[in-house]
Amino acid sequence: MNIFSGRKFSNVFIFGLVLLLLAPRLSFAQASEMESLRALVKDMQQQLEKALNRIDQLEKEKANDSAKIGQVEKSIQAVQSAPSILNPAIGLVLDADIEKLGKAGGNFNFRSAELGLAAAVDPYARMYAFFTGSNQGFEVEEAAAITTSLPYNLTAKGGRFFADFGRFPKYHVHELPFVNQPLSIQRMVGGESQADGAEVNYLFPTPFFLRATFGGYNKIGADNEQVSNLTPRAASRFTYLGRLNTYFDLTDNQSIELGTSLAYTPSVRLPGDASGGDRILGGVDLTYRYQPLASTVYQGFTWGSEFYNNSQRFPFDVEVSDPDDPSIVTTQSVGKRRRSYGGYTYGELKLNKNWSTGFLFDYAPVVDNPSQRTLSYSPYVTWYLSEFNRLRFQYSYLNNNFSVDKAEKGNQFFVQWTTVIGAHTHGFLTR
Amino acid sequence: MKTLLRNNNLKVFFFVLALAWLQTGMVFAQQIRAVATWPALADITRQIGKELVNVESLATGVEDPHGVPVKPSFVPRLNRADVLILIGLNDEHSWLPALLEVANNSKILPGRPGYIDCSLGISVLEVPNRLDRAEGDLHPNGNPHYLLDPVRAKIVAQNIATGLTRNFPQHQQAFDKNLKAYVAELDNWIVRWEKAAAPLRGVKFVEYHPEWAYLADRFGMKLVGSVELKPGIEPTPNHIVELVQQIKQEKAQLLIFGAQNPRLPQQIASETGIKVVRLYSGGGSQPETDTYIKWIDYTVRTLVQSVS
Repeated sequence: MNIFSGRKFSNVFIFGLVLLLLAPRLSFAQASEMESLRALVKDMQQQLEKALNRIDQLEKEKANDSAKIGQVEKSIQAVQSAPSILNPAIGLVLDADIEKLGKAGGNFNFRSAELGLAAAVDPYARMYAFFTGSNQGFEVEEAAAITTSLPYNLTAKGGRFFADFGRFPKYHVHELPFVNQPLSIQRMVGGESQADGAEVNYLFPTPFFLRATFGGYNKIGADNEQVSNLTPRAASRFTYLGRLNTYFDLTDNQSIELGTSLAYTPSVRLPGDASGGDRILGGVDLTYRYQPLASTVYQGFTWGSEFYNNSQRFPFDVEVSDPDDPSIVTTQSVGKRRRSYGGYTYGELKLNKNWSTGFLFDYAPVVDNPSQRTLSYSPYVTWYLSEFNRLRFQYSYLNNNFSVDKAEKGNQFFVQWTTVIGAHTHGFLTR
Repeated sequence: MKTLLRNNNLKVFFFVLALAWLQTGMVFAQQIRAVATWPALADITRQIGKELVNVESLATGVEDPHGVPVKPSFVPRLNRADVLILIGLNDEHSWLPALLEVANNSKILPGRPGYIDCSLGISVLEVPNRLDRAEGDLHPNGNPHYLLDPVRAKIVAQNIATGLTRNFPQHQQAFDKNLKAYVAELDNWIVRWEKAAAPLRGVKFVEYHPEWAYLADRFGMKLVGSVELKPGIEPTPNHIVELVQQIKQEKAQLLIFGAQNPRLPQQIASETGIKVVRLYSGGGSQPETDTYIKWIDYTVRTLVQSVS
């Protein structure tokens, strides 16, 4: 084929000419495009490096986090595989002291070992129990179920528990800020406010804290022997309780709490007083707290007081002359109403995280003979080795205006050691 | 009395009063009532919920995490709350359970929808190998002070958004939008803080209580020791002597403490020359820390100033 011949040649010639004319332009365009491409590639390279570095960093973090999550998952699995997973929280409190009681002498006193259990029952209730062994024997101190889902701000409680009377009557003794329960509580309430019965609490929908309690029980008082827990009785011989409790923040660091309680038993029949009569046990409690928020662990002051009054009939032996023959005198038992008033006041100062000191004054009348009373004065120092290990040193002076056992008067010294293992809390009421 | 009841002005007054009261109730009813345990959590909730949420914090931020008083005045707030936002990991164990016990609000009990535990999904540090009180006041599930790490705070924000959505699905779109914006804002700040905290990398420090692990983890600081003998246990004189030696040997630069008594940090500083810095691990303790971002910014700036 001859390309130089005829029309074909002219076509090729023209194409070559056009190519020659365009060639320089093409090379210029290619050069600038190359430049921009180079810049683009360089930029992309930099971005890629950055991205790779970031990926490396994230992968490192992820590996680190995965390792930690793995560690946590492992520990969670270990806990979950344990057969005790649904067991309640368990705690044990040991409370012991060495004491010297006036002229009666000294004693190592195993005060109590309290085993506590607590857990949710189901979505509607929780339950707790405290079993106490002491020198006096073994006892179910509390075992109660409490609702968690009642409407209208109501909570119901049933079983054996410390009735919501006053402030310190519902504290377990080892929880008190001093060694012994004030004598006024022992004599007027009957010790801890232990009660077999039922209680309903109502939280008022107010902007401030206001709570009411209504209860019905066989009796109130762990040591109250006026009524038996075992004998059925008429409705008039149960004890009914009403309590109102409120609280106000005076400032961020200061607060005041006020409570008033009334326990009413329509009919108490003591041996020797067949006619019986009602019993009214009233109480007012007031607590002032200074808790500087920035140092609650190191500083603080609490002043707390409770006043009680008890009104009921007690049997008394009276000598009655025979109307026909006045020389014949017989002894008869008659019931007389006695009103007694008593209470305590104490102040406690937190010195630092581990030490606090306080003073308790207690006025305790004898309820069936209010003219007889005991005054006690008790300075004390508490050393918290930790939250669960506490030593307390207390001196008490007991002044009686009537004859008592020599262990219950004069100078008394106590060194108390309280230790806790496991879970331990008595909840909001004894905060 | 009858005259009083017939008085029209009085009727109008009571009608207006009732109307005003009802309106107030309606305004409150429109907002979600949230209670957070700490101010930093309250702020993050505010950022996610914006105008849909009315948030209150129980603690003020200056308290020792283990010493928040069980104030009955917290009870009405918890009683009315739709949601409760908390740190979790047993951080609030010494005070919150007692309050929930009497708050009569089953919506915010553990396990219920209104109980928003912000620790979910957090990679936890210092999980104890041995659960024994001989090791002090331990947190069985690990160190709860994760809010000091702004990267982990993004998970907190996510948890809060998820919790709010779980309870109020009708507002999901708003929560998601606010979450996205807040996380983006946090991301910007994290870049800034990482740059600003460069001088902290490798800095050896002593803490009073184990509160600073997450911050150290994020910004590369190295923990040398603690003033406390064990978590929550005050030091013995021997421990202080050993710590002083350790600070000197390791050339530790900072001693960080918060709600604790300054006496011991000052004593250690006088013996070693270590710089003492007071910073709170709950946020909100002062005006310049009243939002989460301001709190972390203040913390980073204070630490950087202390080492420079």
